[in-house]
Amino acid sequence: MDFFVQIIVSGLTFGSMYALAAVGLALVWGAFNMLNMSHGIIMTLGAYFALLWAELLGWPLILAAPFSLVCGGLVGAIVYFLSAHWMIKQKNFEVTIIIATFGLGMAIESGLLKFLREMFRTAPYSQPLSLGAKSFLIFDVPVSYQRLVIWTAAFVLITIVGIFLRRTSVGRAIRATAQDRNAARLMGVPVRRVYVLVLAIASGLAAVSGIMLSSFKDVHPLMGGDPMLKAFIVIVLAGLGNITGALYAALLVGLVEASVKVLLADKYGFTAILILVILALIWKPSGIFGRATVARQ
Amino acid sequence: MSNGDTQPLLACRNVFKYFGGLAAVNDFDLDVYSGDVIGIGGPNGAGKTTFLDVISGINPATSGEILLDGIPIANKKADVICHLGISRTFQLNAGFESMSIRENTLVGASFGRGDKGWFPRMIYSKEMHERVERALELCHLQDRAELIVRDLPVLDRKLLLMAGALATEPKLLLIDEPVGGLNPHEVDDVMEIVQGLIAEGVTIILIEHVMRFLLQLSERVVIMHHGEKIYEGDSKGLLSDRKVVEVYLGEGTADRLQHMMAERA
Amino acid sequence: MKRRDYIIFAVLLGLAIAYPWINPPRYLLASVLLMFCYATVVSQWNLVFGLAGIFSLGQVAIFASGSYITAILGRYLEWSLWYTFPVAGVGGVFFSLLIGLACLRLRGIYVALLTLAVSQMMFILIQTDAMCSALNKKVNPATCVSFTGGAQGLGDFGSFGWRDVFGGRNWIIGDYYTMLVLLVIALIFTFIVTNSRIGLAFMALRDNEELARSRGISQFKYQLLVFAMSAFLTAVAGSFYAAHFGSVGTDLMGFALLLFLISMLVVGGIGRPWGPLLGAFLLMAADEVFKEASDWRNVGLGIVVLIFMVFLPEGLAGALDKLWNRGIQLVTGRLQSGGTRADGE
Ligand SMILES: Nc1ncnc2c1ncn2[C@@H]1O[C@H](COP(=O)(O)OP(=O)(O)OP(=O)(O)O)[C@@H](O)[C@H]1O
Ligand SMILES: [Mg+2]
Repeated sequence: MDFFVQIIVSGLTFGSMYALAAVGLALVWGAFNMLNMSHGIIMTLGAYFALLWAELLGWPLILAAPFSLVCGGLVGAIVYFLSAHWMIKQKNFEVTIIIATFGLGMAIESGLLKFLREMFRTAPYSQPLSLGAKSFLIFDVPVSYQRLVIWTAAFVLITIVGIFLRRTSVGRAIRATAQDRNAARLMGVPVRRVYVLVLAIASGLAAVSGIMLSSFKDVHPLMGGDPMLKAFIVIVLAGLGNITGALYAALLVGLVEASVKVLLADKYGFTAILILVILALIWKPSGIFGRATVARQ
Repeated sequence: MSNGDTQPLLACRNVFKYFGGLAAVNDFDLDVYSGDVIGIGGPNGAGKTTFLDVISGINPATSGEILLDGIPIANKKADVICHLGISRTFQLNAGFESMSIRENTLVGASFGRGDKGWFPRMIYSKEMHERVERALELCHLQDRAELIVRDLPVLDRKLLLMAGALATEPKLLLIDEPVGGLNPHEVDDVMEIVQGLIAEGVTIILIEHVMRFLLQLSERVVIMHHGEKIYEGDSKGLLSDRKVVEVYLGEGTADRLQHMMAERA
Repeated sequence: MKRRDYIIFAVLLGLAIAYPWINPPRYLLASVLLMFCYATVVSQWNLVFGLAGIFSLGQVAIFASGSYITAILGRYLEWSLWYTFPVAGVGGVFFSLLIGLACLRLRGIYVALLTLAVSQMMFILIQTDAMCSALNKKVNPATCVSFTGGAQGLGDFGSFGWRDVFGGRNWIIGDYYTMLVLLVIALIFTFIVTNSRIGLAFMALRDNEELARSRGISQFKYQLLVFAMSAFLTAVAGSFYAAHFGSVGTDLMGFALLLFLISMLVVGGIGRPWGPLLGAFLLMAADEVFKEASDWRNVGLGIVVLIFMVFLPEGLAGALDKLWNRGIQLVTGRLQSGGTRADGE
C-alpha cells in the first residue's frame, strides 16, 4: 500500500509538471509544425525569473509565479521572432526549425551559465517558491504541501488553457489554424499572430513548469534539459499535436517513471520511459493516444 | 485486339478499396489484353486514381483479385509490381525534383526491370542507358534531357513522367490524366506522343477528363462513378448511354462530342 | 562532379599532406587532425541526411559505438587497436542497421525523434553503469571500473602505436596522417556512392518516395543500405578518435557534440559534396577562435547555427555554388541550369 500511494503521489507530481511543459509543445506543433528545442531553456528561465523576482528584487512572493509566466511568454515570442518567423516558408521547415532552436537554446543556456557565474557566485540556489518539506500524511505516506500546490496549479492552468481554446474567439482561431492553416488564413485568421501567441502561451506554461521542477531540486542553468526531453517523449507518445492525448501521456509517463523509481532504482526511471517511447515509435508512430489517421509525415 | 481465347494481360476480379467506410473502388472487374488501349473516365472522386493506385501497389486493395499474366499481384509491393511489368504516371506532377530529366528517366530504366541482391550493382549497364534514350525519344524529350525537373513547365513534367514509366519497358502502362491543365495545343502534342506509343504496341490504361483525348485514343472506354463501373464499351455507345450522359457528360457535351466523332469519321 | 572539384580536391590534399612539414604548433596539428575525424563523420552523415534525405540523428551514437568497441576490446582483451578498427566498423554497421530497421516506417521528424531517443538511451545506460566489472578485475585488480567505464569513461587501452615508430615527440604526426587517410577514403567513398546507381536510388527516394517505389526501388532495401553504408567509416572514425585520445567518455553521446557535428553539416551545406569539409573547417576554426573566450564557445556556436538556419539553410557550399554559377553566367552570358541542384553532379 505504501508503495502504491508513493507511486501515485510522485507520479501525479511528475505528470503535472510534464503536462504543463508538454501541452505547450503539442499546441505549437499543432499550430505550425514547430518542435521547439529551446523549450527546456525556457523552463530553466522560468525558475530563474521567480528567483530574480523574489530574491533580488524582493517583491511579494505570491506574484513570482505570474511574473515568471509572463516573462516566459515574452521569451517565447522572442524565440519566434529570432527563428520561426523567418523560416516558416522554408521547404524543410520542420527539420530546420529543430536545428535552429537547438542552436538558439544552446546559446541561451551557455550565455545563462556564463552570466550566472558572474552574478551569483554561490550556486546552487533553492527555489524561493518552494514550501520546503512540510507535509501531511496519506496512508502513512508523507505528502508535502508543495505537491498539493503543484497539482492544483497544473490543473488550474491547463483548465484555463482548455477554456481559452474552446470558448474564446482567439482560441477558436488557434484551433482553426491547427486544423488547416491555409483554410484559416483564407477565412481571415491572422496566422502569424496565432503562431506568436501559441509559442508565447507554450513558453509561459513551460516557465511555470520550470518553477515547479526547481522546487524539488535547486535552480540550475542545466535543469531544463531532461524535463524537456521528457516533454518531447510525452507528445510523441500522445501523437504529435494531440493536446488531450498529451495530458494522458504526461500522467502515464509520470506514473511509469515513478513506478520504476520506487520499485527498481532511481537511475532506471528515464531509461524506462525512453524504452516506452522507442517501442511506441516503432509500433504505433501516430501515438498511443492518437487516432490511426494522424499523418506520420 | 482483345480476343476471348487468350489469357488477359491484366485481370481484375471483384476489386474493392475502402477508405474507412467509403468504397473508393467498388466491386470492380476489368480485363486488359495485350495491345489494348483502355480509357477510364468519370466524375471527380469516382475512384479512377485509386484504381490505378491499387493496381500499381501504391495503395493495396482491401479485397479482390488482380492477376498479371496469371500471377496474383494484389498483395505485392509497388516496386515488385513494377519489376513484374506495370508502370505508371501520376496525376499530380510528381518527379525527382533535384535531378535532370535524363536522371529521372534513368531511375526507371535502371530499377524498373528488377534489382536483385542485397547489395545491388553500383554502375549502370549499357542497356539501361539505351532504355533511357529510347524513352526520351518516344516522349520527344531528347533536346531537354539535361534540364532540372524543378524548373520545368507543366507539359514537360507530364512527358517526363511518361518517359520514366516507359523506361521500365512495361507490359502495361498506366497513365493518369496526362493532359490535365494543358492548353489545346499541348494536348495535341501529348496525343501525338501517346499515338506513337500505341503504334509501338504498348498496352495502356488511360485516365482523362478531356473526352476528346480519351475517345480518340482508346478503343474501349470504362466510365466509373462512386467506385463502380457504370459503362464499358466503345466510344459510340458511350455517347448514347443514358446513364453516362446523366452522371458525367451532360447533354451538351455528349452532343458536341457526337458531332466531333462524326466529323472525324 | 566537374573538373573544378578534382582540382580543389588535389590542392586540398596537397596542403593537408604538406601541413605538418611547416612545423605548426602542436595544438594546431591536433586540431586539424580532429577536424579530419569530424569531417569523416559528417561526410557519412551527409549520405544519410543529404543524399537519402533521412533526418537521422543517430550518427553520433554510431561514432560513439565505434569508440567504445575499440576501447573495450583494447582494454579487456588487450587487442592491438589496429585489429579493433574493422571490428568497430562492423559493429557500427550492425548498430546502424538496427536503427534503420526501427526507423523503417517513420518519416521526417519522427526519425529524428527516434534516433535521438536511441542515443539518449545509450548515453544513460553508460552514464549509470556503475557496477564493478569482473573483466576489469582481471586487467586491473586494484580499481573498481564498470564495464563501460560509466560516467568516468574508459582509458588504458592503447593507441595507434606511432610512439614506437616515430619516437616520443612525433607520434602526433603519425596520428595526423592516419586520420588524413581515413578522411580521404571517406571522401572517395562518398563520391563513388553519390555518383553510383545506388546513390541515384537514395536521391530518388529522397525526392519522391512514392514515385521511386513505383519505379522499382525498394524503400526497405535502400533505407537499410544507406544506414549500413554510412555507418562503417563513422564507427571507424570513432575508434580512431578513441585511439588518438586514449580515452572515451559519455560526452561522445552528449548534446554538445551532436550540436557541434550537426552545425558542421548545416553550415557546410546539407547534401552538398563539399559541405562536410567546409563545415568541419569553419566550425573548428570558429572553435579555435572562441576557445580564447571559453565561456562563449557554445554561445557563439549556437548563434552561428541559428544564423545559418535562418539565412542560409543551404549552407555555405550552397551559397558558394550559387555565386559560382552566377559568376559563370555573367562570364559566359548563358543560363546554367545545373546551378541549384542538391547533389554532386
Ligand atoms: N488516401 C485516401 N484516403 C482517404 N480517402 C481517399 C484517399 N484517396 C482517395 N480518397 C477518396 O476516394 C475517392 C476516390 O478518389 P480518386 O482520387 O480515386 O478519384 P478520381 O476518380 O481519381 O478523381 P479525379 O478525377 O478528381 O482525379 C474520393 O472520394 C477521395 O476523396
Ligand atoms: Mg484522379
